[in-house]
Amino acid sequence: MTPELRKLPPQALDPVSFDIAKPTETTLENGLRVIVFENERIPLVSFRLAFLSGDIHDPAGARGLTSAVAAMISEGTEDYTSRQLAEKIERLGASISSSASDDFTIVAASSLSLYSSEILDLLAEVVLGPTFPENELDLYRRNTVEHLKFQRSQPGFLAAEQAARLVYGHHAYSTVAPKAADIEKLDRETLRNLHRERFIPNNAILIVVGDVRSDDLIAEVREHFSDWQPGDPAAGEFTAPPKRDARSVTIVDRPGSAQANIVLTNLAVKRTDPDYFSLLVMNQVLGAGASSRVFMNLREEKGYTYGAYTRLGTKRLAGDFEATAEVRTAVTGDSLREFFYELARIRDENVGDEELRDAKNFLTGVFPLRAETQEGLTNLIVNQYLYGLPDDYLQTYRNQVNAVGAEDVQRVALKHVRPDEMALVIVGDAEEVMPQVHEYADSVEVYNTDGVRQDEAKYTVAATAETAEVAGKWSLVIDFQGQQLPVSLNLEQSADTVTGVLETMLGNGEIADGKVSGNRLSANAKAEMQGQGIEFAIAGKIDGNAMSGTITAPIVPEPLPFTGSRS
Amino acid sequence: MSETFKLPPLDIEEYRLENGLRVVLNPDHTIPVVSIAVYYDVGSRNEREGRTGFAHLFEHMMFQGSANVPKAGHFQHIMKAGGTMNGTTSSERTNYYETLPADQLPLALWLESDRMLSLAVTQENLDNQREAVKEEKRLRYDNQPYGQIFDLINEMIYTNFANAHSTIGSMEHLDDATVEDVREFFRVYYAPNNAVLVLSGAFESETAKDLIETYFGDIPSQPTPPALDVAEPLDVASTYKEWEDKLAPFPAFLIGWKIPPRRSPEFHALYLAGKILYDGDSSRLYQKLVKGEESVIQLFGFTDERRGPSSIFIGAIPKPEKDLSKIRETIMGEIRDLAVHGPKTEEMEKIENGLVNDAVRMRQSSMSRAQQIAEFALYDGDPRLVNTELDELLAVTADQIRNAVGKYLNTENRALLDVVTVGKG
Repeated sequence: MTPELRKLPPQALDPVSFDIAKPTETTLENGLRVIVFENERIPLVSFRLAFLSGDIHDPAGARGLTSAVAAMISEGTEDYTSRQLAEKIERLGASISSSASDDFTIVAASSLSLYSSEILDLLAEVVLGPTFPENELDLYRRNTVEHLKFQRSQPGFLAAEQAARLVYGHHAYSTVAPKAADIEKLDRETLRNLHRERFIPNNAILIVVGDVRSDDLIAEVREHFSDWQPGDPAAGEFTAPPKRDARSVTIVDRPGSAQANIVLTNLAVKRTDPDYFSLLVMNQVLGAGASSRVFMNLREEKGYTYGAYTRLGTKRLAGDFEATAEVRTAVTGDSLREFFYELARIRDENVGDEELRDAKNFLTGVFPLRAETQEGLTNLIVNQYLYGLPDDYLQTYRNQVNAVGAEDVQRVALKHVRPDEMALVIVGDAEEVMPQVHEYADSVEVYNTDGVRQDEAKYTVAATAETAEVAGKWSLVIDFQGQQLPVSLNLEQSADTVTGVLETMLGNGEIADGKVSGNRLSANAKAEMQGQGIEFAIAGKIDGNAMSGTITAPIVPEPLPFTGSRS
Repeated sequence: MSETFKLPPLDIEEYRLENGLRVVLNPDHTIPVVSIAVYYDVGSRNEREGRTGFAHLFEHMMFQGSANVPKAGHFQHIMKAGGTMNGTTSSERTNYYETLPADQLPLALWLESDRMLSLAVTQENLDNQREAVKEEKRLRYDNQPYGQIFDLINEMIYTNFANAHSTIGSMEHLDDATVEDVREFFRVYYAPNNAVLVLSGAFESETAKDLIETYFGDIPSQPTPPALDVAEPLDVASTYKEWEDKLAPFPAFLIGWKIPPRRSPEFHALYLAGKILYDGDSSRLYQKLVKGEESVIQLFGFTDERRGPSSIFIGAIPKPEKDLSKIRETIMGEIRDLAVHGPKTEEMEKIENGLVNDAVRMRQSSMSRAQQIAEFALYDGDPRLVNTELDELLAVTADQIRNAVGKYLNTENRALLDVVTVGKG
């Protein structure tokens, strides 16, 4: 090939159509809907028995019950113990799993199509006859309580917990996890009752995808499930999410946190909203991927974070929009500024032709990749039925994406991305974060990691104090895993801007982004150490001629404490 | 059941370009998606002493742009076309791959050929990728609990330098590397005659062949890379080491055995023995240690497949206050039982169904087909082995498993790495 021809990316070949056939649907007398998608391509079969109730349908005062029932159904039945079930399933080379989400509870089973009858038999066994043995329930309670404790050490969980509370108010979507006390009081009888009331055929859809014959399969399904008695699938009553009219900041204090987890969120739309496809394209342009705007800005250009994204959380009854990033604590305020810049830009300016085309190409291009495996294809079909999407949803998906225009993108951005009423949640060191967020909202509230509201004044005194004088030569000692490492800071100050040099035994670094706010110093220093460029984030508290605080570097997992004084 | 189940063979066509590039086509039109895999016959085993970490450094360099693709352009081109991509390095090879909508086949071939022809090996790219690799080493090895144990145990198992040293390599060696070293490495190992190109998915073979000739045909071939000796004595290099892991929250241990090369009958038998011992909730060690004694938090095991001497590992992170030597006795007890009595009938049945299930699932995605075909083409010179591998594994008998476990696992010739936490060593 000539060098000239190599210069530009080649033209694509003719597009190849991707046609997904439509499944057949039957409803048994007891109300169980059975969807069968015959697919001879691969000698496998996937079953999904899905119930249209999930965690949000937990009875009052019994949070975590639906998830417990889902987790426990394969831990023992009338005929088999937990271990016998595991052996029977693995001996077929098959798998069965079950779990609950906000809206649904799904029992999934898959195997070679050769063992379709055997795995359907086991699926019926765990769905119809679980006994919730006391010893297994005891293990579940212990493990779950441990897990809930562990979650509170995860900043992502703490951020999600506050974001859901702020966006959904008194709606059941506002609770993302049960409390330990909820789990400890779960007993066999409560599990049995929920199983009896909610695991009923007229509250369920059985979706089967794979190398099966529809007629034969439906006959087998009848054999297993015809005697299953219908009940009353209570729809549940839900309080409408609150209407917000101003921005707010909620900080979850995690003292010593090296990073700040930022979530900016507002109420958006449910999964079946007519704006869905326009939002999908808008979100792709704005922040869904690693070539979207917020990623290119906050990571590629500014280097604040390893990843920054926006996300649509579209549930069955409502939904939310989120922008998220984990950033170095010192650049929390800067990151908020860049987020708000991008949120304003997607609302105020028409998206360019090329950017729009790239976003749509990605969404239409990646669609067949998702259907390559039977699990992937099954998930697409399951979503269509559970959310009640149109019959031709999968067949018209790519046309729907392609039909979105620049004006649609701007219209839905104006409607569903609302920076002026967003809830800002920041999980990080509250003392460090506080001075950086005041300009973004009038109200700031602080919680601890147990979810208990704190007195904000505790964290704001320092920030509102008079700007400290930091100029001079500071001798500091860093505590590095018990070793005392001396460093010094040579600082100059002009109003609240600080410049200078960080001197260490291994090399020096110039101070960048240095600021004083009240008695707080925050600065970055990029040092060359033994040929490596290392970026430090310094956070100090000034008290006369004394300073204490932390230094954070990407090479150490936790911030290193330091103390010292001015000479 | 193995008698009743036959996998339909994959459609395989192989040929060679004049410059020596080996090409394998696996057309499959069921889903309009195409995967491209380029496997270079270079891994850490090819590295010389004093030059470790080069193969992996090179994987980074391959994303730094070429004559017509700017830095990071590879990634952006693939993303914007709705595709996925990556590259990885092992002891055996370095691979690069993309999955795209079928009509984007030319894009993938253009990107892969441009870097094979004209990679931008500049001082600037070398410097910043060296730093990126150091950062990766800190994040993934030095700064992770248990992050270095597999590199450590390889040094205990293998005697031959080619096998024993780690893929991430030495940062001092990377610092010593000059641009000329890196250019030479590229010239020798990233030549078309040292690579395999596999296409799997929805394409017309004639169109694909024309495109491959257009993009790859004029890349010059190079002299054959230096010969490699990976031979090993049977004994492990050392049998015991204690390692203080500053980040580990709990003590742990890892046992490793040296075993025959991949695809040898003994390797197959030991691979299946591993499934009996540690694969799944019904495996022997899971039932004994996780459920029965409730003595371990995590149990794991796997085989490391190599063209030369290979290895098998079993490791555990015990619950606090549990006796590690007792757990190891349980493990060796099960191995002894397997060496004396062999697998049970129901274990053989589980293995058979598991193997067929795995083989079928692997074939669903064009990417996993392309990768497996590329390995057989590169390592064995025969991509059609993808169609007979399952039969070879199903043919392994309970006696063969018993004998292999007796000879290779039920022995003192093994490496034990004891991981101790700080202050408890």
